[in-house]
Amino acid sequence: MAVLTPYTFIQCPCSDSSTLGRPSDPNSSTITEADEDERTFDPRAPRSNFSLYPLEYLLYCEDCHQIRCPRCVSEEIVTYYCPNCLFEVPSSNLKSEGNRCTRSCFQCPICIGPLAVTSIETRPDPSLLAAPDNTAAPHSGPYALTCSYCNWSSTEIGIQFEKPNSIHAQLAKLRNGGSTRLTAKERKERRKDPAYRRYQATSSGEGESDQTENLDLETQFANLKAFYQNQLADPNSADTGLAALGDLGFSSPTSLSRIMSIYTGGSLQDRKAKSRLGAMREALKPDEGLQFAHLDESAAIETLRGEGHDGTASITQLVDQPPNLGEEHLHGRSRFISELRPIPYLLRTKRSKRCPVCRHIISKPEAKVQTTRFRIRLVAGSYIPSIAIRPLSLSATAGGGGSSASGATLPGALLEPLKPAHFLLTFKNPIFETIKVTLGAPAETPGRFASKVTVLCPVFEVDANTDVWDEALREGGATGGAGSGGGGEKGERRRGRYDEGSQANNGNQLEVGKIWERGRNWVSIVVEVVPASLRLDQGDAPLREDEDVLEIPLFVHVEWEGEAGGDDVLESVAAKDKGGEAREKRELAYWCVLGLGRIRK
Amino acid sequence: MSSRRAPRGEYIETETGNKVARKATLLGTQNIMLGGKTVIQPEVLIRGDLIRTIQASTQSGAASNNTAVSIGRYCFLSRGCCLRPPGRLYKGAFTFMPLRMGDHVFVGPGSVVQAASIGSHVHIGTNVVVGEFAIIKDYVRILDGTVVPPNMVIPSFSIVAGQPARLIGEVPEGGHEAFELRGLYKTVGNNPQPAS
Repeated sequence: MAVLTPYTFIQCPCSDSSTLGRPSDPNSSTITEADEDERTFDPRAPRSNFSLYPLEYLLYCEDCHQIRCPRCVSEEIVTYYCPNCLFEVPSSNLKSEGNRCTRSCFQCPICIGPLAVTSIETRPDPSLLAAPDNTAAPHSGPYALTCSYCNWSSTEIGIQFEKPNSIHAQLAKLRNGGSTRLTAKERKERRKDPAYRRYQATSSGEGESDQTENLDLETQFANLKAFYQNQLADPNSADTGLAALGDLGFSSPTSLSRIMSIYTGGSLQDRKAKSRLGAMREALKPDEGLQFAHLDESAAIETLRGEGHDGTASITQLVDQPPNLGEEHLHGRSRFISELRPIPYLLRTKRSKRCPVCRHIISKPEAKVQTTRFRIRLVAGSYIPSIAIRPLSLSATAGGGGSSASGATLPGALLEPLKPAHFLLTFKNPIFETIKVTLGAPAETPGRFASKVTVLCPVFEVDANTDVWDEALREGGATGGAGSGGGGEKGERRRGRYDEGSQANNGNQLEVGKIWERGRNWVSIVVEVVPASLRLDQGDAPLREDEDVLEIPLFVHVEWEGEAGGDDVLESVAAKDKGGEAREKRELAYWCVLGLGRIRK
Repeated sequence: MSSRRAPRGEYIETETGNKVARKATLLGTQNIMLGGKTVIQPEVLIRGDLIRTIQASTQSGAASNNTAVSIGRYCFLSRGCCLRPPGRLYKGAFTFMPLRMGDHVFVGPGSVVQAASIGSHVHIGTNVVVGEFAIIKDYVRILDGTVVPPNMVIPSFSIVAGQPARLIGEVPEGGHEAFELRGLYKTVGNNPQPAS
């Protein structure tokens, strides 16, 4: 069983219908709060799976003052680029060429590793080592795509290239096995060619097998389209009914609505027109787009006999295959590995994100592919307090050891049923104002196994996130290396323990309503849990997956004011940051889930 | 390396703030460039001896620097990892190419890195293999046990995993700060700040 590290997931308000889109102004939120007090958020409800996110995944809308999650933001694509060659693809190309890289970027059809273009004839000539200047010569002759991960080579499916560049264009002209196929343009020209038409006419007289071979998806579609267009345009096929509709083009939006009205009962149409439409004939010849399905699978069975199961492609391999318009329709038949083709890389995107309510942009990356900067990046982590969980072992603290947290209770250790355990929750304030945090947790966790939960200090204040230099100056003498500051969570924890050690010697006791310890912009409080026993009675349903994980729903209510809390240093920082609008009282409330650990079975 | 002054501590701390474990194996140290504030834990192997063998054939002419491995600032090379410059046939002769690494790169324990270039803010997990001439851009997270195939390009903000590596997710907007290694840097050394 994987070791469970404690986690905090936050519920996005978008999943809550009552608060959807409502800005948290003080008047309405009291009502909301009252509503929310009524019911406890259940982290195990199936719906919760879709609303809980780690803090990093959440964004924050500054105008709505609300958390936004990946599910509720609306995304807009800024740039398309190939993840392999990192070239930007203009959106005009995207419409004509599709959503895959049209350079020489391919993935292995077997293992999806990247394919490299290599010369097939590698001449291990020892003389070349001595004279490296003449070595331009060996890089000639046919080329193949090879995978350096699984050693697959495009020669296995009989594909070789004459040039080492523009592989995509070359591959489009090659069938598996090396026989050429026509590109869309050539095919269009061929259709116009009278000699080809004559050939088609004669072959259609002979038999069906060879003509069906000629029809790949693209051709079939083009033929069908031309056929139906002819049928519609032909005054003989459906004379009065369609003629009444005037000279509407086949592809015009009005004709679409006409077709829709035909299919949806057609009260606007007279019955006659409908019956005449039914008289329209279907395609009968290959050049009209008719293609017989291959029901004879003896060839496939024969191949399967020869190659066995190893010769067939797996579902993942088939799913990764791009739709190949150059081949005939497969009609759901299974495929062999020999039929797989190199996969051109799917393009990736850079996307900006908008608030779903006020339509303000809350995240916008730079358009250039190579830059990683963001023009706008309003992440929840810089607005709402982060919650770090750490097991707390009281016995070690009583012993006066400095390493109380990592003493007996190892992180990831199983929780003993019915034995009180303590966890330190460290709230870290990212904003420049002092925040007042109010916590609410149900006395018992929802679900089949109700563990008892006590938040020892549900109301507390966390000091503002002042400039790191202030702290550095304040603590200057104490520790040598404190200057660089901003150490993130790790550094935070370290200092916490450091202080804790000294405090423990002063006799830090578990006390209701008391903060365990506090620092510059963080506060640690203690949560006591009595894990439930996972013993199942006769007739109970067996333990479901992850039902042994102790998860606590916690309602966090954060309140802060624009006015800086008395400190003049804070004042200036806050004023600079928030400007004139900082004078109002703000609050934010949300549910989060604390995953503490697994209970011993 | 047997240290004369064993009580001086486990790490050699340089002027630029690098912390190099005495038990790390650095071959060809003159070809290894450290940007500063980089931690090299015990049992790390850096093959600085694998330098370009055909210097003359490089068209740039003046490229006479023999750097085999260059590492930026605040990188963290965990215990037992290995950095090895990639090598290939170049114009008919085998040569090694330099391995470049940006800032804030974490290489997990037991990982082998043979990439051509690694950007900044990259997290490479435990027992990862990064194949030869792989290019890893900025803000990339490679999960434990991944095998990055040779020549693979991993664009920015990717989370990759699997054997061979495939894209499994994107680094969220709020996850950028998690790549910072300044805090981790302080937790190791001869007089580390109290930490786990």
